Amino acid sequence: MSRFHPLKVTEVRRETRDAVVVTLAPREEDRALFDFMQGQYLTFRRAFDGEELRRSYSICAGRHEGVLKVGIKRVEGGAFSTWANENLAPGDEIEAMPPMGKFFTPVDPAAEKHYLGFAGGSGITPVLSIIKTVLADEPASRFTLVYANRAVGTIMFREELEDLKNTYLGRFSVIHVLETEAQEIDLFTGRVDAAKMKALFAGWIDPKSVDTAFICGPEPMMLAIAASLREHGLSEGQIKFELFASGQPGRAKAKPVSKADLAAGDATTATVTLDGTTRSFAMPRQGQSILDAVIGNALDAPYSCKAGVCSTCRCKVIEGEVEMLTNHALEDYEVRAGYVLSCQSFPLTDKVVVTFDE
Amino acid sequence: MSEGALAGAMDIEDYLAQGGVLTSPANVPARYRGELLRLMASFVDSELAASAGFAASINFAPGIKERIAASRITLEKADHAERVLAVMAEFGTDTARYQRQHDWAARVARDADLGAVRTGGDMRLSVFHYPIDGWADAVVMNVLMGLATGVQMTELTRLSYAPLAEVFRGIAPREARHAALGVEGLERLVADQAGRAAAVAAVAYWRPRVAATFGVAGSARHGMLARFGLRHATNAELLARWQAMVAETLGPAGLN
Ligand SMILES: Cc1cc2nc3c(=O)[nH]c(=O)nc-3n(C[C@H](O)[C@H](O)[C@H](O)COP(=O)(O)OP(=O)(O)OC[C@H]3O[C@@H](n4cnc5c(N)ncnc54)[C@H](O)[C@@H]3O)c2cc1C
Ligand code: FES
Repeated sequence: MSRFHPLKVTEVRRETRDAVVVTLAPREEDRALFDFMQGQYLTFRRAFDGEELRRSYSICAGRHEGVLKVGIKRVEGGAFSTWANENLAPGDEIEAMPPMGKFFTPVDPAAEKHYLGFAGGSGITPVLSIIKTVLADEPASRFTLVYANRAVGTIMFREELEDLKNTYLGRFSVIHVLETEAQEIDLFTGRVDAAKMKALFAGWIDPKSVDTAFICGPEPMMLAIAASLREHGLSEGQIKFELFASGQPGRAKAKPVSKADLAAGDATTATVTLDGTTRSFAMPRQGQSILDAVIGNALDAPYSCKAGVCSTCRCKVIEGEVEMLTNHALEDYEVRAGYVLSCQSFPLTDKVVVTFDE
Repeated sequence: MSEGALAGAMDIEDYLAQGGVLTSPANVPARYRGELLRLMASFVDSELAASAGFAASINFAPGIKERIAASRITLEKADHAERVLAVMAEFGTDTARYQRQHDWAARVARDADLGAVRTGGDMRLSVFHYPIDGWADAVVMNVLMGLATGVQMTELTRLSYAPLAEVFRGIAPREARHAALGVEGLERLVADQAGRAAAVAAVAYWRPRVAATFGVAGSARHGMLARFGLRHATNAELLARWQAMVAETLGPAGLN
């Protein structure tokens, strides 16, 4: 059931002081799986100090380029992004899930559309993929990009964007907005906020000409742009969002289980039924959830968030008692019926019988 | 996230409360995720149960046209379930296991009283636990529930999880077509005396049961759902809108 597949790092290019562009190749047999739509992202996993982290990065290549590329910007104190910026090298292997995400519209070679993109900092990555794809595959469409950065030196893909302007003369334009460096026109300095949007629509972009708008940047920027687009008559369906923010809290430190804690009376015999097969094993009473014990015993139990919220890990306690630490998913009636979230449940009795089949 | 000095860090819940949109499972905070999965599960289960219910109605159909309409509704409701299930899959839901989880055709006794409470293992709306007992019954149920779905779609198509809102924007016109097929069927049905009598009885049976799908007024979860951008209007507002649409639809057929 593993949804992860190895990708080979074929190139690591330093894009700015704080960002790298990584080119990746799937195994021959995984090629079709990693066929992507412009604007989609890959989710990587890697263990840091024995703990698995999963992080998503948008593909910045166009569909026609035939390669997988991601741009990773180093976040201050960030585990994965720092590792990628400092350690990733050609020849390395990294595990990723097939592309996901819906930050795109279908390509139609006959389309004559005007796309409007807003990118803030590393938010350029999926937008770049979209720009390259539609310019190449929709010869009559055009794209206007509003690109916000702190300073000239932090602009990712600056040269590539210039090249695109020259390759697709008249069909692609970029409006850079820099926070710190004053430019000749006031409009291009500062943040992309309500006032700046108003000015953009007054003098530079005709909102009525826009078919679809793509936004990827920090939250306040996304809010300001979306509000302005709606105000200028774009419907929900015409506005596409991609948000990089992480909704999960930081790395939770798992309680270490020491062998000494496992004195007599601290262990439990768990009996688990899954897919019609029943298996018994010993597990500690503390520090390990029923779900982790089940997985540790090579039973392929369904789970997802391991946070007590999706209920994919639900099982039914037939005998014995467990303590459920968090429950954001099961209704009272289910709990009364004996269901628990296995990822949140710890045995209280020396025998526990559960089933995933009922 | 904050892009360095580009913008101050912003709490995701504040972002949502201000109308922000989430775009991937990675963005989603734990509580939001629970509610989102619950919402999706409820829709998927309701569509699968509705499809299973309509499958049986195909054989009640008096003519070919009606048979095609019922078949189409059966097919498309299952398809809609599959589309939403695909979004759940991105949260780790085992979709193959999920669709085998329940007996979607199972129904309670015709005279059971479930109120708005969900029963059994699945999350289907209570109305989908009641059996359909003939063609007039199927038509009326489809009209009333179709209008209710239309009202719910005004919420679902703008909820704050973009990949799901987009799925609903694709589904909404087809669900509207199901309701329209129902209204066409109703017009044919009430054209004769016996049909009209059956329709009157069916309206009396289904009206309160469909009304119950809007949930209780002043639901405790509403505040949280609204802050999350998963709900906009209240249950009472949606119910009132449905009641107005029902009156408008049944009036011309003389069924109010
Ligand atoms: C769908 C999606 C696509 C993405 N695409 C890209 C991409 O193309 N390029 C890219 O560089 N990133 C992208 N991201 C962000 C990326 O997944 C990570 O969140 C980011 O690299 C930080 O991970 P980390 O492990 O380095 O930091 P962590 O160890 O998770 O975080 C360390 C600290 O930094 C804070 N932090 C986390 N993220 C940010 C941020 N973005 N800015 C400022 N502070 C932060 C955290 O709150 C924490 O305090 C994407 C995210 C999503 C959800
Ligand atoms: S895995 Fe999601 S609630 Fe347990």
